[in-house]
Formats: sequence, structure tokens, C-alpha cells
Amino acid sequence: MSSMIEIKNVTKEFKVLNRREGLKGSLKDLFSRDYKTVRAVDNISMTVEQGEIVGYLGPNGAGKSTTIKMMTGVLEPTSGEILVAGNVPYKNRTQNAQHIGVVFGQRTQLWWALPLVESFRILKDIYRISDADYDGMLKLYQSLVDIEPLLHKPVRQMSLGQRTLSDILAAFLHNPKIVFLDEPTIGLDVSMKAKIRTLIHALNEQKQTTVILTTHDMGDVDALCRRIVIIDKGKMLYDNDTEHLKSFFGAYRTLKIRVGGDLKEQAEQIGKHLPDCAVSADDEWISVLVNEEKQRVMDVLTQLQKEYRIRDMQLEEISTEDVIKKIYEEGVN
Amino acid sequence: MNLKKYLTLTRAGIIEALQFRLSAFVMFAGNILYLIVVYFLWKAIYASAGTDVVNGMTFSDTLIYLVLATALYSFTEMYTVWEMGRAIQSGKIVLDLLKPMEYRSYLFWSYSGSFVTNFCTTFLPTFIAVCIVTHGAVPLGINLLYFAVSVVMAIVINYSIDYLVGTICLFTESIWGINIMKQVVVLLLSGATIPLAFFPDTLRRVAYFLPFQSIYNAPLTILLDRSARPETVLPVLGLQLFWCVFMVLLSKLFWKASLRQITVNGG
Repeated sequence: MSSMIEIKNVTKEFKVLNRREGLKGSLKDLFSRDYKTVRAVDNISMTVEQGEIVGYLGPNGAGKSTTIKMMTGVLEPTSGEILVAGNVPYKNRTQNAQHIGVVFGQRTQLWWALPLVESFRILKDIYRISDADYDGMLKLYQSLVDIEPLLHKPVRQMSLGQRTLSDILAAFLHNPKIVFLDEPTIGLDVSMKAKIRTLIHALNEQKQTTVILTTHDMGDVDALCRRIVIIDKGKMLYDNDTEHLKSFFGAYRTLKIRVGGDLKEQAEQIGKHLPDCAVSADDEWISVLVNEEKQRVMDVLTQLQKEYRIRDMQLEEISTEDVIKKIYEEGVN
Repeated sequence: MNLKKYLTLTRAGIIEALQFRLSAFVMFAGNILYLIVVYFLWKAIYASAGTDVVNGMTFSDTLIYLVLATALYSFTEMYTVWEMGRAIQSGKIVLDLLKPMEYRSYLFWSYSGSFVTNFCTTFLPTFIAVCIVTHGAVPLGINLLYFAVSVVMAIVINYSIDYLVGTICLFTESIWGINIMKQVVVLLLSGATIPLAFFPDTLRRVAYFLPFQSIYNAPLTILLDRSARPETVLPVLGLQLFWCVFMVLLSKLFWKASLRQITVNGG
């Protein structure tokens, strides 16, 4: 197995004009040389092996798209080294394009006015896909999703879900070594999301395609990624598998109980009883966040049962979403 | 060079253009309206001049020239600047840059389908109509061949100028004003709206030193030249060739230098 992507100490800085406010300020800006340097990506390193699906996460404006653009060769890093499929992406962008596929969730690379099959034929010629490979790929697509009705539909008449699906198929068409998916499930309904996840998973498995996936939907991460990388403010916060992520923050579990009386008041009282746990209440449940390294959930439950009449209870594992939220808000430490 | 990957874009362009029948009809009607305005404007000019020949051109000479210039314009105009401006502003250019083809060629060939459709729907009918109506005022001979060569070079020059102007959008991220200015300059100095013969001497001499006249004036002069001989045609073609090479190189270099500078927005 060879590394598909190697990133070493990559930094990207942008020069941004210091804008002033108001009409007068805008006029001054026309002649201003007052630039400030913004570091969008700060000393990032990672290696991705062939066939991996890596979730690339971070809050809005964290530097995800900038990193992707550097990996595709659209942007040149300020310092550091990037190798994608053995190439320096920004130096031979046109050749590199042969090995990569991209989907940017809100845009389409398809020919707007033409039926999907025409877009596929154009891509076939542009990427110089042989007839056999092309037919094989279409057969594979057919076995994964029902593309026949889509093929003859003009792209402009497609729903967002159909279009995204088509865009993903188009990105995989030339059997690239790496596919970059930038928020592929944005704005889609639940069943379409599931369909697209299954498709990405199957294509990755069948073709051993490396996939870099940026998303804000933790459902995507749970369904697809064994490994995630989190960045914020340009800095790398986390790079490991998703299993490890959960234990990383201690073994948290949420115990939810329902008791009689005013829940807010009860929650406050319980909080006093259990100083090690975070207790909160909503309209239906009192939630007790338990760190299992300090206290076992069973003990907490027994303790509570002595003092309160518990009518109902639920136990929730901490979700990837909760952990990520915690990282975004507090950082790793 | 693998021609197939370029021709597939031409083919797509033709199919795409055929999807929008209405826009073709509207454009056709717009051209007719423009020609009516031109007819009456120049009729008034000739009436007020009091002579039949102004600046060495008769009324029908001028009219034929302008009708063909309009037809040529609607056939060769590429709207590259708008296309680039839109792609850059929306960030779609990232996807285009990631095609295994230079952006310059990608854009050109994506548009080339319209050459074929516009040639068939506007230039050819207009040309035939002019030939019939004027009873042979347009010579049909070897000059057609020269004209074809000339038009190809005119298209390349026009595209390079557009590409150059479109590249500026990478810096300004807005294109409207620059494009309007470009259009006025090109249409005036190329002789597309007023034949160069009507320019004051100094301006005409300046115009001959600029690349713009190679876009409309040069091919039209060749087409309407009744006594087309290699001695008269070759210098015109030679000058076109020079501008062709010069503009292609200039626009390529400028694009390359600019692309290094840019930050692609959006995303």
C-alpha cells in the first residue's frame, strides 16, 4: 500500500486588504496598500493511504476548503510539501486532474442544458476513458443505483438530490485515484443522504478509491469514515480513528431520567448530590452526563433511585456529534 | 494532440445551442432591428453629404459592409468575458480548472459549438441574402478562401483579447465596467460599427497599428475586395498572423502570471 496523499508542514497565508468602513473609507481603500496576512492553514501534516475514507471536519471557516484546494492544485501552499498520487498538485495541475475527481456540494460540473448521458460522454472524451472502462463503469453504476431514468433527464430539471448523485457519479467516472467530496449531502433529505452514503461506500470499496470527505453532517462520518481529521483556525486538532475519538474524551454516557414535579428544580437538587456529573433538564427529561472513568452509571442510578421515584429512564452513548461539538467549542485539551 | 477531447466540447455546444431555440429567434430579430437602424442612419448621412460617394464608399458599399460586419459579429462574438467573470465570481472556475485540459482551451472549445450554429443561422443566411439582393456586389471567387483564413485568425485574436480582459476579473472580481469598455473599444476600433474609411486620418492610422482592426476590418476588406490578388491580400493576412501570435502569447502569459497570484473565492 502506498500513500495517496502526503502533506508535510503545509501553511497557507492570504494577504487581505484592511477594509475601512463607509463611503470615505471605501474611497481610501482604492489606494490602500494596507494588507494584513491571514493564516488560513497553519502547519498541517497528514498521510492518507490508498482506499481510505477520511472525514475532514472543522467549523465554518476552519481552513478545510483551502486545504482541499491545495490538494487539488488550485492553490499553491505558502510553505510545506504536498504530494498527491506522487505529483506536486499545483505544478502539473492539468496532469494531476486525470487522477482526481471533485464534488463541491453547491456547484455542479455537469452540462446544465443537456441530459446526464451527454455530460458523461463529454467527460469520457475529455478524460480519454476507453469504451470498455466506460461501459464497465456504467454497469457498476447501474448495479448500485437506478440511473436509467436519470441518464436521459436534462440536468437543469433534476432535483438537488438527483443532481448531487449525478455529480458524484461524474466525479468517479474516470476511475480517479482520489475523490474530494466537499459537503456532498448538504441540503438533501434523509433518504437521499442514505442513498448517497451507500453509493460512496460501495464505490470506495469496489474501486479502492481514496476519498476525502468534508461535511458538517455527523451522519456522514458515522456511516463512512473510519478516520477523521479535525482542524480549526487552520490548526490540526485531531487525526485518528473514530473509535478512539470517543474514548479520547473519557467514557462519557448520558443517563436520562424522568421524575415527578418540576424538572428544573429537581435537576438542581440532583446536581448538588452528584458533583462529578453535569445535570441539565429539558421539558421531558433530566440528563445526567456521567464520566465512567470516575463513576459508574449503575452507581449513579442506584444512588438516584434511593432518593427519587424514577418513572422512566434511558441511557445514551455519547454521539460523534457531541464529541465534535465539544472539540469545536473547547479544543482537545 | 488528441482532437477528440476538443471536438466533443464542440458537439456539446451545438446540442446545447439547439436547446435554446427561442434565444436564437430573439437574437435574429434583434439583428434585423439593428440593421434597420443602420440603414436609416446611413441613408440620412449620405443625404446630408449631398454626394453619392463619401470617403470612397457609396451608400450601398457602406451598407453591404455594415450588414456583413453585423453578421460577422453575431457569428464570432464569444462572450468569453462574461463567462469568465461569472465562473470566477461563483467559484465555479475551480471545477473548470480541475479538468485535465488547459482552462483556455476548455473555455474556447466549450464555446466553439456556437460558431457552428451561429454560422449556419446568422452569417450564412445574411451572406446569401446580401449576394442575391445586391446582384453580385460581393465577389465570389478565391477571396472566399482568403476570407475563411482571415476569419479564423480574427476569431483567435478576438478570443485572446477577451481572455486577457477576463483574466483581469481574477483581481477585480467584478467585470461589468471593464467589459463594457472593452466592447466599445473593440467595436469602434475594429471597424465593426463604422467603416475605418470614415475615420479621421490620424485615428485611422492609429487604428491600423492596433490589433482590433484585424478582427472585423481585415476579413471584410478581403471579402469585398473585387480584385483580390496575393500582393494585396497577403500583407493583410500577415499582419493578422502577427497579431494572432502576439495576442495568444500575451494572453497566455498574463493568465499564467495572474493565476499564481489569485485566491479562488467561495467554497
